[in-house]
Order: sequence, then C-alpha cells, then structure tokens
Amino acid sequence: MAVWRSILMSSFLAAAAANPVRADAVVIGVPAWPSAQVTAHIIHDVLNERLGVETELRERGTLTILSDIGRGDIQVHPEVWFPNLSAMATRLSEEKQVLSLSPISVAATQNICATRATVEQTGIKAVADLVKPEMAAQFDSDGDGRGEIWIGAPSWSSTEIEKIRAHSYGYDQTMTLLEMPEDVAMAAVDAAVSFGKPVVFYCYGPHHVFELHDIVKLEEPAYDPARWTIVTRAQDNDWLAKSHADTAWDASSFKIAFATSLETGMPEVASFLSKMELTPEDVTAMSYAVVVEGKPAEDVAKDWIAANADRIGEWTK
Amino acid sequence: MIKLPSAFRTLLGWLPALAVLVFAGMALAQSFQTQIYDPTTRKWVDYTPRAAAKFYNRHGQSPEEFRRQVVPFRTAEKPGTIIIDGDRHFLYLVQPNFQAIRYGIGVGRDGFGWAGIVKIGRMQEWPTWTPPPEMIARDPESAKWANGMPGGPDNPLGARAMYLYVGNKDSIYRIHGTNQPWTIGLNISSGCIRLNNEDVSDLYSRVEVGAKVIVLMQGAALYKGV
Repeated sequence: MAVWRSILMSSFLAAAAANPVRADAVVIGVPAWPSAQVTAHIIHDVLNERLGVETELRERGTLTILSDIGRGDIQVHPEVWFPNLSAMATRLSEEKQVLSLSPISVAATQNICATRATVEQTGIKAVADLVKPEMAAQFDSDGDGRGEIWIGAPSWSSTEIEKIRAHSYGYDQTMTLLEMPEDVAMAAVDAAVSFGKPVVFYCYGPHHVFELHDIVKLEEPAYDPARWTIVTRAQDNDWLAKSHADTAWDASSFKIAFATSLETGMPEVASFLSKMELTPEDVTAMSYAVVVEGKPAEDVAKDWIAANADRIGEWTK
Repeated sequence: MIKLPSAFRTLLGWLPALAVLVFAGMALAQSFQTQIYDPTTRKWVDYTPRAAAKFYNRHGQSPEEFRRQVVPFRTAEKPGTIIIDGDRHFLYLVQPNFQAIRYGIGVGRDGFGWAGIVKIGRMQEWPTWTPPPEMIARDPESAKWANGMPGGPDNPLGARAMYLYVGNKDSIYRIHGTNQPWTIGLNISSGCIRLNNEDVSDLYSRVEVGAKVIVLMQGAALYKGV
C-alpha cells in the first residue's frame, strides 16, 4: 500500500508541476447542511486514505464554494443543487470551462407534504384540496377559520415560488401562508404529530423528516412547463400576477462539482468524483445521523465508508 | 406580564440583531380561543377565564391536558431544547428517546407576537418584578413597587424566571411562574409565557443557560400576506 501510494503521489506531483492545480492539497468546500458536510468528509477520507492525496476541508457558503472553484481556491463542491444554482454552474462550466460537473445526479424533490395521520384524519389527497374552505379549516391552528401552511424560510428562492403556487392553485385564499426558519417549521410538525393535530407543509428531499415522521406527498398534476411561468419579485413588482405555477415542481437534483483542472492534474481524483454515486437513501441517512442522532459529520462519514467499501472500491478503480 | 408596549418598541429597535425572529403586526387581532374536552358532556367547551377559575377552585389544579406529563415527541431537536406552542398552550422540553415533558402554559392576550429561535440567557429563582411605567400610571397600587417587588408568593413572576435572549441581548420575554395558577391554558397575560410555580420550578431544574428555545409561529397574526 505504501509503495502504491508513493507511486501515486509521484505521478500527482509530476502532473502538478505542469498544471495549476496545487500539489499540496485538494481543497474541499464544506457547505452548511448535513448531507453535504458528510459527503465532503467522505471525499476527504477517500482522497486521503485510498488515493493518498492531501486534502483540506474549508467551510464556506454554497455560492462562495462555486465562485472559489472559479478562482482556483477550492477544487471540490460536494453538493451543488439544480435548478437552484444552474445559472452559475453553467457559466463556470460552459463559458469559463473551469468547473466540471459529475455526470451522476442525486434526485431531489420539492412538494407539499402532510403526515399520514393527517391524511387519515382529514381525507386530504391532493394539493388542490386545500382550495376547499372546509378542508383548509381542518388545518386551522389559531381559530381564525383559515388553515396554516409553512411554505419555506423567508430567504429561500423556493418560498417565492411556493407563494406563486398557492396563488395559482388558489389556496392562498383559504390558507395562511407561513414563512419561518426551517427549525421552527420542523418543530411545529413535531408538535402537531405529538398532539395528534393535522399539519401540512412545504417539504424537500432527501431530508431527515421523511425518516422522523410518516410523511405523505400530496398529489399534483405532473410538471408542465406550459403551466409554469415564474417571474421573480426582483424582476417585476407585479411578479405574483404575472407568474403562474399550478403543477408539481420540475425534477430537482444535486451533484458533485469539481475544478476542471483536476482532470489533467489529478485524473484519479477527477475519475473518483465523477463515479461517486450516492442514492437518496444514503443522503437521507446522513442527514438523519447528523441532525437527529447528533453524530459529528466526520464520524458519519467514517461509518459510511466502512459500510460501503465495495462501492468505494468500484469508484476508485 | 412583562411584555409592554414600550418594551416592545425597545425590542423593535433591536430588529437588526433579531434576524432569527419573525415578527408581524402586534395589532392584528387573534381570535384563537382555548377549548378543553369535558368528559361529562363529551364535548369540547370554551375554556374562558371564568371557566378556568371555576375549574381551578373546584379541582385545585388545571385540566388534565395542561398538567405536566411525558408525551411521545419525535424531533430532530436535541434533549434540553424547549419548544413553545402558544396556540395550543404547551411548552415541550425535549427528552432523550423521542419523548418530551409537556407543560401547560398561559400566553399573552394577543398571542406571543413573534416566532423564532432564542435561548435561555439568564435564570433566576424568585425573581424581582418591577411594574413598567405604563402600569404605574394606570394602577396607582403598583406604584409602591416602582423600585421592584421582591420575589415571593405574591410576585406575578412566580417562583422562577428564565430570560430569553437573542444572542447576548435580553429579548424582554421570559418564561416564568405565576401567582395566578388558574391562568394556565389561557391567553390572558400581557405577554411572556407563564407556568404554574411547581411546573416552572421543575422546568428550571432541568434546563441550563444556553438552552435553545423555539417559539412556534402562531397562525394568522404573524403573517402579513403576499
């Protein structure tokens, strides 16, 4: 192993001499959410222990990590979300050609969710059911006759779209749309479940809430671009009236992104990053272990590596 | 009890530092009304201040659902975290193994007025209560306590107080006891979160300075609309 590692390092250093990639360390960005943190640590450990590459973990915001890859300061982003960051990722990968995107994506979801107990208590099946005042009233927690629904945190780009969806479906007339931090919204779900009260809320996945509670995604017509026109608040003051979205969200996803210079400077690293394939189940389990079980991300990464040695072996061939 | 217009204005002055809190107009009316299940008539009945006082006089304690009890509580929050559900008049203290201790609470007439994440910044046994100037102007009786009413059984803050902080600043909101235990389950105070003295002492013994406190959003009063 030591000889193999030594040979690998020699080849990296030789390649690095003719390449702008830093020979001393591959810098891995660590965004501020649990699954990305665990993935960053997995990449860190695999590069260190399997490929013999020195690494550095650097905690940064997701946008900063991408722009630092563009500047050559960071080499790896463990979890770039699409379509959220697609404009920036396209600019760096296609126009500037400094960013490579893994061909492998993890499917993500955005829906309106309820607990299974809620479905049984209220009979709700579809998002459009919320338009009925008698259905909406079953989600009334403050006695004003209208239901309440969490549509996301105030700073999220999805929250604006959820307002558009509520307006297009019409349940902004029957439900009070609540914006609040995710911690508060999830605690509200926990409290509703504990007390046996119906609750309906915006949900995205992979997310540990699907492990914590028995969650049902409400039905919607399939995504239809012809029925999905988004004008943002920043674009137009009359954004809500000019927008329309009364179908399900388009498919979302996330993937690993890395500096294109790795492809020539450290092809084994680029190859591994392009082959690493996490499933939604992997990601949910990581999020659950960190958030619910309170384990440090580095420990979750080590456990995951120990349990998935065969998969890692395939990716590092 | 403590939250007053002037104090609230002070709090609003700190808004730049209160990024985690979600405020909305205090003037928006809240219509929520506590109801309790009457096992005799098998109906949900309004739990008014009159009904609450009557129940307390008869039973010496609040209705079953507002009494301290361990309940199942699946959450991602760590043990020691406090979750306050003002709409339903419960305070949950998260325990290990997906359980929580649930306490009945009384909240303000207009609800709590905000939602968000704060922490316990300070804790005090038998806290001193100082009536605010508005109350002194309105009620000359309170003037004698203008420099602070010592802690004791007649003190409106009750046996214990936990001061809620945003970062390192006192938010002016407190979790405290009460000298009016029949008010648990009602929206009757001027604000804050009150527990009966036995419960607030129990909670006090289980939490530490720095504990995370999540205040759930109370429906329509906290939303300004699209």
